[in-house]
Order: sequence, then structure tokens, then C-alpha cells
Amino acid sequence: MTKKYPLYIGILFIVALVQEFGLSHLTLFKVSPDIITIFIAFISVTIGQKSGTSFGFMAGLLSGILSGNMGLNMLARTVEGFIAGYFNIPDGSHATAKQKTKRLYGAIVTGGFCANSVLAAGYNPLAISPVYRIVVLGLIETLLTLILAVIVTRLFLRQSLAD
Amino acid sequence: MQKFSTLFFKYNSYLLFVVYCGISFLFIKFQDDDLLTKLRNNGMEVSAYITDKMMSYSYVLNLKEENDRLMRINTELLSRILNTETTALDERTRQKILADTTLNASKFIMARVVNRKFSDRENMLLINAGSKDGIKKEMTVLTPEGLVGRVTTVSEHFAKVLPVINSDFKVSVVSGKSNSMGLLCWNGGNESIAQVEHIPISSSLKLNEQILTSDFSTFAIRGIPVGKVVSIQPDKLFYTVGVRLAVDFSSLTHVLIAPLKIEAEKVEMIGESSSGGTFP
Repeated sequence: MTKKYPLYIGILFIVALVQEFGLSHLTLFKVSPDIITIFIAFISVTIGQKSGTSFGFMAGLLSGILSGNMGLNMLARTVEGFIAGYFNIPDGSHATAKQKTKRLYGAIVTGGFCANSVLAAGYNPLAISPVYRIVVLGLIETLLTLILAVIVTRLFLRQSLAD
Repeated sequence: MQKFSTLFFKYNSYLLFVVYCGISFLFIKFQDDDLLTKLRNNGMEVSAYITDKMMSYSYVLNLKEENDRLMRINTELLSRILNTETTALDERTRQKILADTTLNASKFIMARVVNRKFSDRENMLLINAGSKDGIKKEMTVLTPEGLVGRVTTVSEHFAKVLPVINSDFKVSVVSGKSNSMGLLCWNGGNESIAQVEHIPISSSLKLNEQILTSDFSTFAIRGIPVGKVVSIQPDKLFYTVGVRLAVDFSSLTHVLIAPLKIEAEKVEMIGESSSGGTFP
């Protein structure tokens, strides 16, 4: 699995660019789906908590450089990777593809929601009430990300999760 | 030692997490540091370059030229209107018409909005003019319709603008007729409505009165239209005034950047009495 790290780092760059220049413009109720969350959750679930946390940190640094809010993004994504790590499927597990997919969705929902809460607590450019932002917008964003995750899983991750 | 290494290996994912969080907190604490600012500026350059290229493909060339020509005319007209309005205001208050010493140049710089984000995570505008074009931090960004925001970050070819519709933005304003002074801010919600605070209850402010930037502002030149009063609600000491913003942020394509005010002494003076913070 570690042989794939350069590949995953390459994918991380692409994912960060897609998020920054594509998905972040597709807003619904001022929130947009988050493909970086899906990527971090995938790493955490398939490789492990440490890798998930490290990739989360890197993803935060990258998206922070592109968006201009480095520290907070790094913190949020690190938390996301760490939390998603609790859904990790250990090596040699006999989990089916369906079980792995369920775990991935669980990691996306939990990690994504936590990351959103960190971001909401740290920076509030639209002066929205923090509770509304964390609970309502957080849930909408999580739902949008989950829908995107279903699409991404069916299109790209089916084979990886079946392995 | 063995116990320590056992503990270390057992909890290394927690340690890693703590280390990363620590680094993140350091980044938050030292976000205005030169190195981090440089890194952010480079990121902004890359981000703006990609967005600009993406937008260019969908931009019809003829329309672009025509837009640029019209904006140049608008720039000229706007500077004339602003001058005329300021002069008229001065006459009304029977003050001597003096040369405006707060401006260090008379020309506006024109720029195109290459990226705009209005979400709960980010709220900013990116324009395709940077330090090479003479853009500096704290310059006022406007359109012929009114105030857009102020420049917060500048790289070589691009600049980031904090728009009026950002909760961090504040500017000193004055009403056109009654001369009521206040502080314009945006408290979220409707993106076309901002609020003016600190207008005393004794003021004779009326609905539909025009709100303009005042001379009190440390960055904005005076007389830039901001919006019109749409609601006035009395409180104990002050009015809470709703202002419909003059600029439609949803269809913003071109902006003008006003020359920087020479206000270093003023900022220094305010700084001495209020000990830090940002100035409206």
C-alpha cells in the first residue's frame, strides 16, 4: 500500500484543484460538496489513521495555500483525517466491498462534519450564527458530500474497495 | 525507556495528531508572518492564474474589448462626478474649496474580477491587477455604481479584495442630506442590505437618503456612493439603519481601484489613542 503514496499525493493535488476551481463554485445554501473530505476519508479507511491524519494535514496545507486560510484549513483537515481513521478497515480483514463502502460513508459523514465545525468555529465571513452554520449548513454540506461520495464510489472507487 | 518506547508506539497516531494540530495552531498564530504571507501570495497567484485562464476561454473577445472601452469611459466620468459632488458639498457647507490633499494621484486603475467566492468558508473577490499595476494594500475598490470593498492582499499580478458584504469589513459613512455619520458594516443575511451603526437618535436621517463614504475613513476617498437608506429603527441611543447597497455583487465583472490616501499620520494618531485594531 505504501508504494501507492506518490500516486495518492498526485491525486491529492488534482482533488484540491478540482475542489478549489470547480466544486467550491457549485454552492447550494452557501455550501458546496467537498471532494477533499472524500479523499481523506478514503485514505483513512483503506490505509490507516496515521496516513489519514498526514494526508489531511497535507490537504489542509494545499487548500489553505489556494484559498488563503492556511492554519485553519490544516487544523480542520487534520481533525478530519484523524476522526475518519476510526473507521479504518485493518489489513487482512474479510470485510466485503459493501461493508467497506459503508465504513467509507461513515468516515465521510463524521470526518466532514467535524472539519466543517472546526472551520465554522474559526472563520465566519458571512456572519452566520455559529449554531446554524454548524448544525444546518454542516448537515447540508455533509449531505451534498455524501451524494458526491456515492457518485465517486460508483465511478472510481468500486475496484479499490473490492480489493 | 522500554516503557516509554512502548507507550510511544502505542499512541503514535495521537502524537502525530497533536504535532499536526500544533503546527496548524502555529500557522494560525503567525499567519501575518512574512514567510506565510509570501506563501499565501504565491498561492493566490497560482489560484488567480488558473481561474483567469479558465474564464478567458469562456470570454467572448469582442465583448471584452467593448467592456474595457466602456469601463475606461466610466472611469473618466466617475472621477468627474466624484469631483463635482465633493465640490458641491463643500460649497453647501461654505467651506473653502481646497485641493484634495488626501489623494496622491488622480487616476483610477481598472481591473477585471477573475474570481469571486461567496460561501460560508470564503467570501472574497480576486482582481487581475497587482503590485505591478500599482495596486497596494488598503486601496479602495469601487465601480461607477458605488463602493465594492478594499484591497487586503496584493501579489505581483493579482489582488484580493475584502468586499463590503464581509463581516470583517467596516467603513465610515455619511448621509447625503442630513450629514449623519455612522459606521457601515454587514452583519450577514441578505447580500444587498448592509447596516449603518452609531447614528445618534437625534439625527434627522430619512428613508431613501443616499449614504456616501466619509472623510473619516482611513482608506476610502470621500463621496463614494455606498447605498440608500431603506429602513431606520430606533434603539436606546442609536438608530439601526438598513442600507440597500449600490453595487450588485452578483453581477460584478469590472472594478476600479482608487489611489491610496496619504493617511499614515492619521492612522498613527488613531492608533495611539485606540491601541491597535483595524480602521474603518
